[in-house]
Amino acid sequence: MRTRAGTRRSFRHEVNCDLELRPLMNVFIVLIPMLLMSAVFIEIRVIEMALPTAQAETPPAQSLDLVIRMLPDAYVVEGNGLRSQTIPIGATVAAAGASLNAAAHPLTQALAAIVAAHPGTREVRIVASIATRYQAIVTTMDLARAAGLSDVALEGAEGGTP
Amino acid sequence: MRRAGRRGRRRTGVPRWHSGVTLTSLMDILTCLLFFVLKSFVAGGEVTAPPPGLDLPKSTAEQPQTSSLVVAIDRGSILLGSERIASVQDAEASPQLLIEPLATRLEAARAQMADIHRLQGADSTHANVVTIQGDETIEFRVLQKVMYTLNQAGFSDIALAVIKRS
Repeated sequence: MRTRAGTRRSFRHEVNCDLELRPLMNVFIVLIPMLLMSAVFIEIRVIEMALPTAQAETPPAQSLDLVIRMLPDAYVVEGNGLRSQTIPIGATVAAAGASLNAAAHPLTQALAAIVAAHPGTREVRIVASIATRYQAIVTTMDLARAAGLSDVALEGAEGGTP
Repeated sequence: MRRAGRRGRRRTGVPRWHSGVTLTSLMDILTCLLFFVLKSFVAGGEVTAPPPGLDLPKSTAEQPQTSSLVVAIDRGSILLGSERIASVQDAEASPQLLIEPLATRLEAARAQMADIHRLQGADSTHANVVTIQGDETIEFRVLQKVMYTLNQAGFSDIALAVIKRS
């Protein structure tokens, strides 16, 4: 009887086979908020520009010398041998956070027509007044790039190229 | 009968309740979340986050950011890296295009970067690259002065940092 009872006790001994996940959970709970706090979820891109150097050559007089003048309510597109065009600035350009359909904008279409008429044109100067907002300048660069003008230079309307 | 009853009691009387919390599903969620966060770090490549309170302009530009010196212009101050160099109000009020304190610091930074590139055996032209992180609301008068100062300090290649427009 005694032997049988002893055997029964030893069979009732249970072994816990589950993984002990709590230490790992604690590590995760600390690690995830730390990573989330330091993470950057916005995608940063850059627009490259080359500033003129002292040795830079002046453009030949017969080049197109395409210029976009930013007025408070309109763009003026000018160039050597081109008829000056005035294009109203739409609400999409003024709004900083709005999604921009660059291809449909009148400025992009006008510039694309000029590029089509003058193949190989990549340069454009954007002339802004000192009170022009940075977002408006960047949006104008986007519109010019959408028309195929990838080499953009900035200039102040009051003179003084950066 | 008595034995059978006792045996029955033993089986039913000691129920094997599992009192611990089931953590496996929670572990699955946390593992997925951890991998997602880690992937967002790797996929971003080299990331230079703008200073707090600085809203970059939105753009359709696709070119990724590269390693370079960073000049930040927020609503109140001009920073080189994380160090405040000058105030926007002083830069606006100055009749000169050159921002003197920034020019001084830029020349030192350029010499330092050129040394680093020389030691690394990299192309020294990369030392002339600078990224401008400007707030979307700043006026062109400030940007113009910063760009002029950069040009005078020998930084001819400028990258304007923007947020990719969705």
